Amino acid sequence: MKVLVAAKRVVDPNVRVRVKADHSNVEIEHSKMSLNPFDENAIEEAVRLKEKGLVTEIVALSIGTIKSEETLRTALARGCDRAILVESNENYEPLNIAKIFAHIAKEEKPDLILLGKQAIDDDANQMAQMLAGKLNLPQVTCASSLDVNGNSIRVVREIDAGNETLEINLPAVISADLVLNEPRFIKLPQLMMAKKKPIEKKLAADLGLDLSAHSRLISVTDGEVKKQCKFLTNLNDVVNVIKANGV
Amino acid sequence: MKVLIIALARNNQINPNLANVLTAAHKISSVCDVLVLGAADLSKVTSYSGITSIYHAANLTSNDLLASNLTESLANIAKGYTHVLMASDSAGKDLLPRVAGFLDMGQISDVLAISSPNIFKKPMYAGNIIAEVESFDEIKFLTIRTICFDAVASSGNAAVVNKELLVDTDNKIQFVSEKLSVIETVGLASAKRIVSGGRSLGSKESFDEVIGGFAVKIGAAIGASKAAVEAGYANNDCQVGQTGKIVAPELYIAVGVSGAVQHIAGMKDSKKVLAINNDPNAQIFEYADYGYVGDLFEVIPEIMRGL
Ligand SMILES: Cc1cc2nc3c(=O)[nH]c(=O)nc-3n(C[C@H](O)[C@H](O)[C@H](O)COP(=O)(O)OP(=O)(O)OC[C@H]3O[C@@H](n4cnc5c(N)ncnc54)[C@H](O)[C@@H]3O)c2cc1C
Ligand SMILES: Nc1ncnc2c1ncn2[C@@H]1O[C@H](COP(=O)(O)O)[C@@H](O)[C@H]1O
Repeated sequence: MKVLVAAKRVVDPNVRVRVKADHSNVEIEHSKMSLNPFDENAIEEAVRLKEKGLVTEIVALSIGTIKSEETLRTALARGCDRAILVESNENYEPLNIAKIFAHIAKEEKPDLILLGKQAIDDDANQMAQMLAGKLNLPQVTCASSLDVNGNSIRVVREIDAGNETLEINLPAVISADLVLNEPRFIKLPQLMMAKKKPIEKKLAADLGLDLSAHSRLISVTDGEVKKQCKFLTNLNDVVNVIKANGV
Repeated sequence: MKVLIIALARNNQINPNLANVLTAAHKISSVCDVLVLGAADLSKVTSYSGITSIYHAANLTSNDLLASNLTESLANIAKGYTHVLMASDSAGKDLLPRVAGFLDMGQISDVLAISSPNIFKKPMYAGNIIAEVESFDEIKFLTIRTICFDAVASSGNAAVVNKELLVDTDNKIQFVSEKLSVIETVGLASAKRIVSGGRSLGSKESFDEVIGGFAVKIGAAIGASKAAVEAGYANNDCQVGQTGKIVAPELYIAVGVSGAVQHIAGMKDSKKVLAINNDPNAQIFEYADYGYVGDLFEVIPEIMRGL
């Protein structure tokens, strides 16, 4: 089984992003960047399946600026076999990312496309679903466990009220929840090995796709709501706060 | 302008957050249809104000209700509307982007304000940033963050029209089973009070005893940080935050939770926040109305005795 995984370059989850002075966008120029955490889960799962002998090849795909090469190196160090960078300076919305993914998927013909459930910058949680819709493939989003049985996978999916178990036939699109697995720590030898693995580069503009914008970012504002905390020193006052809420 | 709201039934019930989605819909148009998928008791839904027609496709199995099987028929129905809305819950997030992508249209997730029929506000970066975006699509597909919109009044009397829906079950995917959480029956998303516990609880037993006991005592739902979920102290469906549930109770009590941005993302719209933590510099206090510095294992039993 061949797996195509996603590797999006995003602002590190521990970085607090700031709004630009003109509110046109966020300031990320000098921020620490990372592989999207959910993509780490997707990649980890693919690597585990490969270690079990169920997967023959893992191809990582990133769409972004030339700097995403660094993100793909991380994906390769995590155990992907080769990588594809579709280069563009555009900040594409999930629909256009899905178009590019669909294009590459038609070339690569993976049995399984394993993505993160959401990118932690746009928090859209859309791409896997759009891709599956475009390719007319079955989808499972927010997967918390995968059990491969020949040509089908039994997937547990996290839902608001608990979870559901689905049986999905390959080829398929699955998006990973954070609880899917605990991504391993990468060691130096793996980072060294990753340098030797191939990264194929393509320009988004050369793919012959209509990547025109379906939406426009008008402005951004700070969404933080800090409060003035009243510190209580007497537990009776704490009890009264709770009672004041109708308890 | 013509809005369609899609709601999926689960266990013969429709999530009451439909009443909040309706408020969002009314900011766009007064013509607003609701399409209910799956067998459900609609007595409550018919009373919601401002519904033009309710279409009910009752004859659908759990298998039919999977996003993969519904896409094509919903895409065809969507073509009759300018806006298609779903709550931003696990069903909406799964289904709506797929239908939009199938039609080669974009989608806006977690809409928290509607500036005009084509301009919307949505969170980014775990809610640290609010973006205002304009959609150019012919049909606007929106998932609605329901805590940001009040529920409509219950003075309506909409008629229910039965609808046949052709489902594409080519057996590429099959529903096997579902496991519904006991805790969720208290309804985290709609709870008036929530007690949330973090990694500091140390074990599932302590979590159940301290957080569970406290929650029962004050009639609260149970929440948890991701660290508590990862450690196995609480179920995944209790998680509050960027990747968990977005809640806005009257009172949110954070017990031994540090207040990481990803956690704050899920609870910052709570009316009142009370934080209990033994570290006076814990970040959670920056987002709390009331704070108490102390060891939770001493503080919580003491509070419970005082109630
Ligand atoms: C992509 C991504 C998504 C994430 N999504 C979420 C999410 O949805 N929800 C979420 O919660 N987290 C999420 N996280 C994780 C988040 O960054 C934090 O790691 C997590 O919230 C920390 O949980 P915690 O506060 O329980 O643990 P800790 O950070 O370990 O904090 C424990 C707190 O308990 C206090 N404490 C310890 N002992 C006691 C005691 N005896 N009495 C009182 N106080 C005590 C400590 O002072 C400390 O403040 C996400 C992270 C990433 C990278
Ligand atoms: N530019 C990108 N490059 C590679 N993968 C991406 C990109 N954007 C999104 N993805 C994948 O799609 C998932 C969902 O993204 P989103 O819908 O933007 O929240 C992410 O977790 C990634 O796995």
